[in-house]
Amino acid sequence: MAELRDEKGLAKAERYYTDYGVRARELKAEGKKIIGYISALCPVEVLTAAGVVPFRLKGNVNEAITKGDAYMETIVCPFVRSVFDSAIKGKFNFIDGMVLPHQCDSLDRTSDVWRDYLNLPYFHFLNAPHVTDDPSIEFMKELLKLFIKTLEEYTGKKITDEDLKQAIAKHNENRRLMRGLYELRKVNPPLISGVEMIKVLIAAMGLPVDESNKLITEVIDEVKARAIPSNGLKKRIMIIGDQIDSVDIMDAIEGAGAYLVMDDISVGSKMYWQDIDTDKEPLQAIAERYLRKLKIPTNFVDTGGTYEDNLNARFGHMRRYIEEFKVDGAILFIYKYCDPYGFEVPAIKSYIESAGVPVLYLEDEYSTSTIARMKTRIEAFLEMMA
Amino acid sequence: MAEEKKGRAVATKTAASIPKFVRGNLAATLKAKEEGKKVAYAYIADGQDEIMRAMDIVPAWGESFAGVCAAKRDAEKYLQKAESDNFSRSLCTYATCTIGFDMVREELGGGAVPDAPWGGMGRPDMILGSAQLLCDPRFKWPQATQHYLRDVPVFVGSMYYPPFDPKMDHHEQEKFYVKYATEELRECVKFCEKHTGKKMDWDRLAQIVELSDRTWDLFIDTYELRKAFPTPMDTGDAMNTMVPLTFNLGTQEAYDFYKQLYDELQQKIANGEGVADPEKYRLIWAAGLPSWFALGDFQYFNSKGAVFPVEVTYRGCEKIERLELPKTNDPLEHIAWRWVRYWTHWYDKARKRPGSLPKVERIIEYIEEYKCDGVVFHSAFSCRSWHAGIIHQAETLKKVYREIPILILEGDIVDISSYNEADTHNRIDAFIEAVDSYKKRMN
Repeated sequence: MAELRDEKGLAKAERYYTDYGVRARELKAEGKKIIGYISALCPVEVLTAAGVVPFRLKGNVNEAITKGDAYMETIVCPFVRSVFDSAIKGKFNFIDGMVLPHQCDSLDRTSDVWRDYLNLPYFHFLNAPHVTDDPSIEFMKELLKLFIKTLEEYTGKKITDEDLKQAIAKHNENRRLMRGLYELRKVNPPLISGVEMIKVLIAAMGLPVDESNKLITEVIDEVKARAIPSNGLKKRIMIIGDQIDSVDIMDAIEGAGAYLVMDDISVGSKMYWQDIDTDKEPLQAIAERYLRKLKIPTNFVDTGGTYEDNLNARFGHMRRYIEEFKVDGAILFIYKYCDPYGFEVPAIKSYIESAGVPVLYLEDEYSTSTIARMKTRIEAFLEMMA
Repeated sequence: MAEEKKGRAVATKTAASIPKFVRGNLAATLKAKEEGKKVAYAYIADGQDEIMRAMDIVPAWGESFAGVCAAKRDAEKYLQKAESDNFSRSLCTYATCTIGFDMVREELGGGAVPDAPWGGMGRPDMILGSAQLLCDPRFKWPQATQHYLRDVPVFVGSMYYPPFDPKMDHHEQEKFYVKYATEELRECVKFCEKHTGKKMDWDRLAQIVELSDRTWDLFIDTYELRKAFPTPMDTGDAMNTMVPLTFNLGTQEAYDFYKQLYDELQQKIANGEGVADPEKYRLIWAAGLPSWFALGDFQYFNSKGAVFPVEVTYRGCEKIERLELPKTNDPLEHIAWRWVRYWTHWYDKARKRPGSLPKVERIIEYIEEYKCDGVVFHSAFSCRSWHAGIIHQAETLKKVYREIPILILEGDIVDISSYNEADTHNRIDAFIEAVDSYKKRMN
């Protein structure tokens, strides 16, 4: 145990990644309430303010869905099915409750299934709107009040504005630190590999925010201490997608002979790139962050201007990543049965290609059974870029 | 070359007039330009029908056009066109079929598309989508369409209702949901005013909303005639007779259609005319959009003596008095209340039966009122909004109600590649045997 407690940085991240939930189990044993959630749309600040531990649920690409299909149709997003399969098999038997934000049909239409079959002491469906205009912000604030009320009833603890402000400050710090780690990918070759990075990202999302901040700080210190290598010769790749929460595709990209230097994925930059304003009333600031700043395809964006204006508003951040991280090529890694991302594919692909950066579109099924095929296509893509 | 199958024979004369209705809707989008009217791509159950009608905007319904393409077994060319630009075959095929059509029309200069089923749709001047609990394509499809129609402005509003939670009273929540939905409808009006150059005639809107209320009432009165033994009309026809309610709400034509259907059903009841002769089994179509290319399967059920006197699908309305709508002089607020309550008015009942769900409560209510012996669901692979959660509904129904025979068919709405007629009929045969045993047991 002493050895484990002394573990730091990447070694700690490796353990938390490999044995996902290990720390949450310990905290549960210490008497903490653990609340699971799905998607970058969940306002974790509210959970932290409530004094519970937010724990992001993940799927398992290496495990076949064996129990979940008895409850959930195979037309549902394969990631959602995988998480549910893990949950129904008891892999998350340490969670006391769950928040399901309304990110997409696959979550909304199965919310009854999660609630009724997991039968957790606490369950809340956060019916976040997709539209982001002024009435939607007001609506989101009402939903947040309701969410807070349910948590107060569950924990018996009043959530004050001060609690929310403190939680916002901690999570903003968490985002700032993680962006700092991303900075270390800008050099060529990057100081931290894509495989290492995804492990840190996964480890971080399973920890209370203070512990997450500590872990990221340790990793930054460790990675910064690495010798700066000579200029790399490999192509620099950015991966775009939604719930990519394992090393497998990252390993396939780097194993094919590329540097994975940036992402636009739900557990990655989407979580960390936009802070919550601290000069506004907390609920207003949280609503604005999760509806207007968070770059997910289910937050509807229309500038009222030209189509090009809309594309810049929807995907401009990807072009900025390409410039800042000197990206040579992008891989669009989208799951089957995902309407929100699936309908974006032609627009994202042409938008990035118009910046002179080639795009490889891969449709996947959230399973390592496809990895060999994916790797062949990635190798061909890199060869084409050479 | 599309393999066009002979259309399904309908049991009522009124349903036989539906193809003319649908053709009329499509033709109106093509003629709109000559008449100086604007065309809007529109999506059903968005609550925006009456706004469009009051502003003389001609709706072009992608779901209707894709359904026509599917029924004529002529959708593949558009599905493949969309696929050629990397739209996955697993996405909503209403959307991908229509986007494929849009791509073809743009390549041809934006005018009429030769060989398009029933002439196709006219190029829109605007797109009116909606983000809500109904489906993601309602706002992702407009965005994806704009990729090919770059000059066409898009509006996406919201029309949410409180989610069901057995531990939470939804009534207080309804107020802020309705307030939000009303404001979003007002945003829709502003958008339409901007892009038509016309001001909303609020008195006209109020009249149209009142006509819609009467149409909802008449629709339910008409459909409740189907409780008769033998039922005078089944779901095979209802998949046609839903057209005026779904695509022409707020028009006198829609109201008149249901008056005609009402009269015909009354006559059939008086004559003792049914759908199957003899009518041996009564089933409920409990959820799922149909395979438009295989509507003949309803006749296959009929050939076994099985009829569907009731369905959940496309019964997109309720008797207004049952919704207990608060009084308001604002037609937009009335629309909002009507839609929110349409979804929530089963909640109290569901809360009273431990373990139940509003959707299941609705099915139980119909089973009891229409005296059904079995339950059929259809799971379409490309549509998560209507079809995810069916397994749970089926299991809950068995748990909280009774061990009634249940069949879950699998296929798609538009994509015929998923369909196997022989396999489907084999499954129906086995199900009918189960229903027969169940009926004997219950008697």
